Amino acid sequence: MKIIILTAAALACWAGAARAEIKVVTASSDLKYICERVGGAEVKAESLASGDQDLHMVEPRPSLVYKLKKADLVVRVGLDLDMWVDSLINAARNKRLFYGKEGYVDASAGVPLLEKPEGKVDASMGDIHIYGNPHYWLDPANSKIMAANILAGFKRAAPDKAGVFEANYAAFVRELDEKMAGWQARMARYKGLKVITYHSSWPYFARRFGLDVAGHVEPKPGIPPTAAHLDGLVKKMKAENIKVILTESYYPRRGPDFLAGKTGAVVVPAAVSAGGARDVKTYFDVFDRVIEDLEKSAGNK
Amino acid sequence: MRKIIAIALVFGACGLAAAQEAGTPPQGMRGTAANLPDISALANITGYLSDDKNDSARNELGVNEVETAFQGYIYPEMRADIILAIHKHDGEYESEICEAKASFLNLAPGLSGELGKIHLDFGRINKLHTHHLPMVDKPAVLTNFFGDHELAGQGGTLKYLLPFMPFYTQLQAGAWTMAAHEHGVTADYPEDVLTITGSTVSVPSLVHADEDFSPAGKTYTARLNSSFEVADKTELELGVSGLKGRGAHYEEHKDNVEVTGADLTLRLWPSAYKRFTFQNEWMHLKRVVPAGTLHRDGFYSFLNYRADKYWDFGARFDYAEGAWPTISYERALSAMVTRHLTETSYWRLQYKHRNLDGENVNEGWVQVSFGIGPHSHELE
Repeated sequence: MKIIILTAAALACWAGAARAEIKVVTASSDLKYICERVGGAEVKAESLASGDQDLHMVEPRPSLVYKLKKADLVVRVGLDLDMWVDSLINAARNKRLFYGKEGYVDASAGVPLLEKPEGKVDASMGDIHIYGNPHYWLDPANSKIMAANILAGFKRAAPDKAGVFEANYAAFVRELDEKMAGWQARMARYKGLKVITYHSSWPYFARRFGLDVAGHVEPKPGIPPTAAHLDGLVKKMKAENIKVILTESYYPRRGPDFLAGKTGAVVVPAAVSAGGARDVKTYFDVFDRVIEDLEKSAGNK
Repeated sequence: MRKIIAIALVFGACGLAAAQEAGTPPQGMRGTAANLPDISALANITGYLSDDKNDSARNELGVNEVETAFQGYIYPEMRADIILAIHKHDGEYESEICEAKASFLNLAPGLSGELGKIHLDFGRINKLHTHHLPMVDKPAVLTNFFGDHELAGQGGTLKYLLPFMPFYTQLQAGAWTMAAHEHGVTADYPEDVLTITGSTVSVPSLVHADEDFSPAGKTYTARLNSSFEVADKTELELGVSGLKGRGAHYEEHKDNVEVTGADLTLRLWPSAYKRFTFQNEWMHLKRVVPAGTLHRDGFYSFLNYRADKYWDFGARFDYAEGAWPTISYERALSAMVTRHLTETSYWRLQYKHRNLDGENVNEGWVQVSFGIGPHSHELE
């Protein structure tokens, strides 16, 4: 009898503890990191995509539905980068997570957007995002807005813990500000540095740190490079003395390596999300690493 | 008065800010100022070569199918998908409502429902639209048991995500009315039919202008499928399906039909763009006719390798028995390569070596499929 009572008490405690935790499912590993920072011990976060995946190309599958089915909150990148999340939310049939419901967080809300197309948009322009460039998390300053959206979601899910979330958010912003000062100081000497990027993923990063994106390996977003396009880039890189090619680590290296071979430029393969490389474990590591690699490759400008 | 206007302006501004803060609307909710649904059009151009001189469709290139879709939300958590298609069927273009359904996304926790004309969720492939298939033609077991088109019914289905399972498990059941095929009877002659005991009896049979067999009339379906993350970036999906109804030519054959199926799919993602898919589907058809019972089997095994963002390579083995009283055996081996341009546009080459009752046929296809506009399907 004693054993039954003790077991029941233990189970009740375990169940109670499990209930207290907010279960968050994020589209990307960066959002997972920010959720963990803002939510602290009150939150259990899981990312649908891993850090080494191209967020345009995540395949929705039933095991991801299962994760969303149990979640209190879903946090997505938005701006059509993670359209695959829509079918997962619908399949999960979790009423908290539908668009506009208390458990739905779009981290992009309120982010000042770049490359927002005007006028008619169609596939002749490549894989264009109609709401603007979705790679906004690569400006670390935007993570304040992302974290604020997440904070609002957490406060809706557990209003009694609002104080804890506010304090965690403030600590995150403080650390970000400190890191940002360091990154900006290190990048100051590269202001105006011309770079080629594989995809149009870097405009937010470039604007923040003063880089000049002079061209892309892809002729248009999502369109693979052609020989004629690469030839044009070689001429441009030679004429403008462009010595850095910045590319996400998951993109094919053939195009960048060809350009590097013809121009003597250095290819910087960058992990663009937490977990995207062995030593890139957090969102802040993304910037530590890419800035370090830019320093190595660009040298003293 | 000024005060009221000022307050109204402040509230208006707040409302605008709130709308901006809502973020990107999901697919089907892209409503412009004119409140339009997502509108898209897809076309499938296919060229077909065959060394079977009796095949009237061989050595032709043309538009095989055009599909238009209107998709959007009609109420919170209620979605509508209207998909209209013009198909080429026996050399003639025919228009049809491909699917027109209302989806109730959240009837109760874990429960959703669909009403309308819907591709039946039987096995892995039947519910897919032609442009979503990773191959030009459908496996022989599907065409032999369900006909040339996807098996679609008018009715409703309920889908339930089982709450107590530690992995994804969905149970669904549907009730449908399916149109019987129109056909002309050209002759009758005796045929040997396999009885339930394995012996054969001779029965009068009919020859139809329409060679398709498929279930029709009042039909009931059920499916149970589960999915497991067996390792990092490795997913195993298992499913069993069942169907009970009548044959498309019930008025002549008085045949009751049962189809059971099992499927197994293993998917691996070794890197950002690479993917292996190993998909297998087996089906058993039971046709009960007054003179006896026919039992027919079929399966396919499909292996696909996505080498990068743009290229897919696949191979498929088919085995299928014919649904008619005189049993036929078909074995086929196919190879296909696909070059993806965008999510909805690609071109594909496919070769197939087919053996039907000992006769060998070589077939080849070139397919160009393209889409315009936002087009989405439920999780497949």
